Amino acid sequence: MFDHIRSFRQPFTTTEAIKLLQGREGEACLVAGGTDVVLRASRSVKVLVDISRLGLSYIKRKGGGLHIGATTTMAALEESVLVRLTADGILAHAAASCGSPQTRNMATIGGNLANASPAADMATPLLVMEAEVVLQGLRISRTLPLEGYFAGPHSTNSNRELLVEVIVPRSKPNAAFSFKRFARTEIDIALVTVAAAIRWDAKQRCADVRIALGAVAPCPMRAHRAEAVLEGQSADHKLIWQAADMAAQEIAPITDVRASAEYRREIARVLTRRAVEECIQRLTQEGSLHAGSRNGGAR
Amino acid sequence: MKKAGRTKKAKEESVPTPKLQVCVTVNNESREWQIAPGDLLLDVLRREGYYGVKRGCETGECGACTVLLDGKPINSCMMFAAQAQGRKITTIEGLGANGKLSTVQQELVKHGAVQCGFCTPGMALTAEAFLVENPDATHPQVAEALSGNLCRCTGYKKPVEAILATAHRQQDHGRCEAHTHAVVGHSVQKVDAVKLAAGRPAFTDDISMPGILIGKILASPYAHARIKKIDVLKAKALPGVHAVLTYKDVPRVPHTTAGQGWPEPSPYDTYLLDNKVRFVGDRVAAVAAESRAIAEEALRLIEVEYEVLPAVLDMEYARSGAVIHDEPDSTGIHDPLHNVAAEIHQQLGSVEQGFRESGLVIEREFRTHRQQHAMLEPHVTITWLDSDDRLVIRSSTQIPFHVRRQVAMILQLPLQRVHVIKPRIGGGFGGKQEMLLEDICGALTLATRRPVKIEYTRKEEFYMARSRHPQVLRMKMGFKNDGTIVANQLDVLAGTGAYGSHSSTVQGNTGSKVLPLYRAPNMKFDCEIVYTNTPVAGAFRGYGCPQGYFAQESLIDEVAEQLGVDPLELRRMNLIREGDTDELSAQLGEGRKGLARLIRSCGIEKCIGQGAAALGWDEKRKNKKNEDGYLRRGVGMACSMQGSGIAGVDWASAVIVLNENGSYQLHVGAADVGAGADTVLAQIAAETLGVTPDMINIFSGDTDTAPFDVGAYASSTTIISGGAVKKAAEKVRASLLQIASAIVNVPADKLSCRDNKIVADGVQSWTLAEIARRITYKEKIQVMEGASHFNMDSPPPFCATFAEVEVDIETGKVRVLHLVTAVDCGTVINPQLAEGQVEGAVAQGIGFALTEEMLLDEHGRMINPSFLDYKILSAKDMPKLTTILVETNEPLGPYGAKSIGEIAINGPAPAIANALYHALGIRFRKLPMRAEDVLRAIHEKEKTAVQVAVVTH
Repeated sequence: MFDHIRSFRQPFTTTEAIKLLQGREGEACLVAGGTDVVLRASRSVKVLVDISRLGLSYIKRKGGGLHIGATTTMAALEESVLVRLTADGILAHAAASCGSPQTRNMATIGGNLANASPAADMATPLLVMEAEVVLQGLRISRTLPLEGYFAGPHSTNSNRELLVEVIVPRSKPNAAFSFKRFARTEIDIALVTVAAAIRWDAKQRCADVRIALGAVAPCPMRAHRAEAVLEGQSADHKLIWQAADMAAQEIAPITDVRASAEYRREIARVLTRRAVEECIQRLTQEGSLHAGSRNGGAR
Repeated sequence: MKKAGRTKKAKEESVPTPKLQVCVTVNNESREWQIAPGDLLLDVLRREGYYGVKRGCETGECGACTVLLDGKPINSCMMFAAQAQGRKITTIEGLGANGKLSTVQQELVKHGAVQCGFCTPGMALTAEAFLVENPDATHPQVAEALSGNLCRCTGYKKPVEAILATAHRQQDHGRCEAHTHAVVGHSVQKVDAVKLAAGRPAFTDDISMPGILIGKILASPYAHARIKKIDVLKAKALPGVHAVLTYKDVPRVPHTTAGQGWPEPSPYDTYLLDNKVRFVGDRVAAVAAESRAIAEEALRLIEVEYEVLPAVLDMEYARSGAVIHDEPDSTGIHDPLHNVAAEIHQQLGSVEQGFRESGLVIEREFRTHRQQHAMLEPHVTITWLDSDDRLVIRSSTQIPFHVRRQVAMILQLPLQRVHVIKPRIGGGFGGKQEMLLEDICGALTLATRRPVKIEYTRKEEFYMARSRHPQVLRMKMGFKNDGTIVANQLDVLAGTGAYGSHSSTVQGNTGSKVLPLYRAPNMKFDCEIVYTNTPVAGAFRGYGCPQGYFAQESLIDEVAEQLGVDPLELRRMNLIREGDTDELSAQLGEGRKGLARLIRSCGIEKCIGQGAAALGWDEKRKNKKNEDGYLRRGVGMACSMQGSGIAGVDWASAVIVLNENGSYQLHVGAADVGAGADTVLAQIAAETLGVTPDMINIFSGDTDTAPFDVGAYASSTTIISGGAVKKAAEKVRASLLQIASAIVNVPADKLSCRDNKIVADGVQSWTLAEIARRITYKEKIQVMEGASHFNMDSPPPFCATFAEVEVDIETGKVRVLHLVTAVDCGTVINPQLAEGQVEGAVAQGIGFALTEEMLLDEHGRMINPSFLDYKILSAKDMPKLTTILVETNEPLGPYGAKSIGEIAINGPAPAIANALYHALGIRFRKLPMRAEDVLRAIHEKEKTAVQVAVVTH
């Protein structure tokens, strides 16, 4: 099946890996876990570059934020206490719902993002966590907000660079997060994913509202207009419905074998509402307990 | 054959493939592999002889190829072998020690979690790794851990239980079984469970053959086309290609691929290769080459010029569409010019009169869809010529003897020149009651004189194999005001796809096995089965009944509501009972006039009672919970019956030979496809011969060494093959006692066989071993007998299915919470295996109801040909399952047994639909009930409600 592959390279440094990529556009393909490559590698691919030995499998706490190496597996994210304790554990939640245990033992966070599937499970939680990706070129590296990384279905704004790290900034106090996912069965590609983040200001008004949706547009996306509906407001039932309606308008879902566009739109509306409601509920619970710092790992 | 030419070709073929050296540790042994850079770990492991690593889908969905990488389960089909450099791999061969199974494997065996065994190695490895990290695992955790190991046989209940038992080191308390027999009625361990749990090479593809070629079939890209020109020169010239066959190269013999007794009731409308293609996936040409890559490349090099014809995709317009079978030599087609494969028209009494006499007449239309068997082991066949130049066919089939007859006819060989071997089979469910690869694979072997293997990929399985017939059912029932059914009428339009395999018989069952469940003086069944340019339908567990019961049991539920009667009560009033004669079956035989069915045993009343109690029916029916929020709950139920073999058609035989130590060789033609037939047959032999099961060596499914058997279908094996085994065993016992009588000087009628002994009236006994040795060496007699068996009736098993569902009314998602199946299968020969049959059928039934559907685009091409988008349920999707076996005593079955393999698939769809009505007040008459469809219906209902409200204002 992969008789067109002429060479398998296993570099030990990022520089080596980038060198192997450059000058071989279309011919060279990166392999981290391999779970997407095996399904999608075209017959034009001649060289596989295995990046699993570059020392990029790590989860570190730095300055209150998280630094996650690109080849960290879903299983590692799911099990990591650090990840579970960050942002109400939505990244761990998303990692745990990404395919079967077998897939999660191989699939990596970098692969999930770099593959740029509109349904990438890691994307929506990271978007509301305002994550950044570190792209390493031959000489320089740059940091890009995740929202600016995706260019289209299976296309990114990296330019002969290697995605080496995902940085999750420290979240502000009094913020709550939620992740919702809808699929046909338990082990399935997502039909819709929604992540939300809301902070309460001193008057319990929504601030820093972030809503992200997946599988409903060419790229995982932020629903900025829906966010604006809530921003600065105290979220009541009616407003949350309005925000959800707005999110449903903002997206551009397609009809495919899994669901119709109309259905995706409807599910996006429902999940957005539920995600926002969950954030508010968490904030309310938290507020009624004590005004201390949050560290819930609830899923 | 041009041998010299071949050798030259082989030399040219050595294209310089860069090789890579990879050092890995496999099962604690260091290995150095020479691999190609693009080799997948799965392929390398199998090439290196780790046959316990199974190929099920190649898209990372099924988990059959699971291995442990540094202790963690991964799919070896999703990993390049080169990635494994320096890492530690554990395959199933590495579990356990010194030929002993690991604890997990032992528990899987003990709990009856091993059915076909194809998914078992992957499951065992996943469980092994999981238990290391989760020693106190809970049920949801185990279901989650197993969610990447799809299984199509067990419904996951027993695997999950086995793993929980391992975690909690539960003492096996034994099962609560009432035993009237020594062996029958006991959960005897499946005879092949150990080798399957150990992942030993037992399946068709688990052998290596020097010089084997890989066969590949070029599939039609068009739904309907004539091959105007086909040029294979480039393909033939490709180094490593040994044969390319088109319709020009093979004999043209009309036949059916349906594995049925001769003369088959299915039309002879199929050809080994033809100059016309009739569905996307139809055979165009076949290639045999030295590797899969070369074979695939050769397919790309075949140049075909098609005259594309208008395609008939919608069965409702088939009669007026382009003629699909315009070839003059096909036979048995009812009306080829109108694409009608078969028609059925039967009537008892007069339904018209009945409807006039009815106080309530109700008529509804139902629609069912294409479902595929999705057995974990795809179709695979290996053929070769033995040293006598006989064609040997090693194949994953349910019908070795039919395959022998069909291939002999198609390839024009004398029957005795064909030898079919059925090894262990990775699931069939009717999909392998079909001769799909054996003919073309054999043709390639004859053309090359080399062993040839053809194995469908999962995608090819979806495109090219069989599926359940889609139907449009119009059902009309007439009731007296007290609820008595007066008339029952069913009108069916069914699509058989491009070929008529099983067309009249599957649909015949939709009438004959469904309508008679309820007594009605007037019944009418009309059916038209049409050809379309779509994937071919065939036999599938339930065989026409799941469609029919979806209609009938939904309709009965609706009537109960209209009459204000409890749905259980309405059914009880009308159900067929012991002593009744089902006259409709007499009219709907298998392609000929059938036989009236006398009900000699019937436990449906008990099934309803016990099932209702297990679900908490009365309580849940009255008090609906969770009416606030977005979740709604409901309960529903359905009844059904099936058959046990085809009356007057199915037959089987058995030969039993006594060994010198008192053990026996049991030879049967029956085909164990993973459900446990070998075990059940060995139990029947052991019971009859008064020996322990370990004294029976069973040999099955090899046409050279076994006597005839029609094969594994129509729920026939226990009753028909079991009947033959019992008869043969009785004859052996009689001969043995006769001879022993002279030896021990006790009259034969005072002797009996039990506990591996010959016993004289309970006072004196001799071990069977000493008698057998004496008979062998002193008397010089081989004790051996054979017997044949068939029934002139097909005793129905009965079933009541209860479902509790929860619906998310904002998304339409339906979750089945609890599914109870109570089955009367006569005497249960092996409770554990019987439960396994029920649980597996239920899982397929829930999939049929909710998630599984083959989708075609406007060109007739399947658009979801993978487990990524054809959704079968995983362990995590399963509801709580309760299985209740209600015993009756069937006079026609061995030790009172009836069938169990199919019946439980009939209930889930109507029971879930009825539960959805209870939850939502909405009737679903089209399958599958996908979340999207459910939500649409909810919205429509809300809209109507709003409109009604507006009007009332």
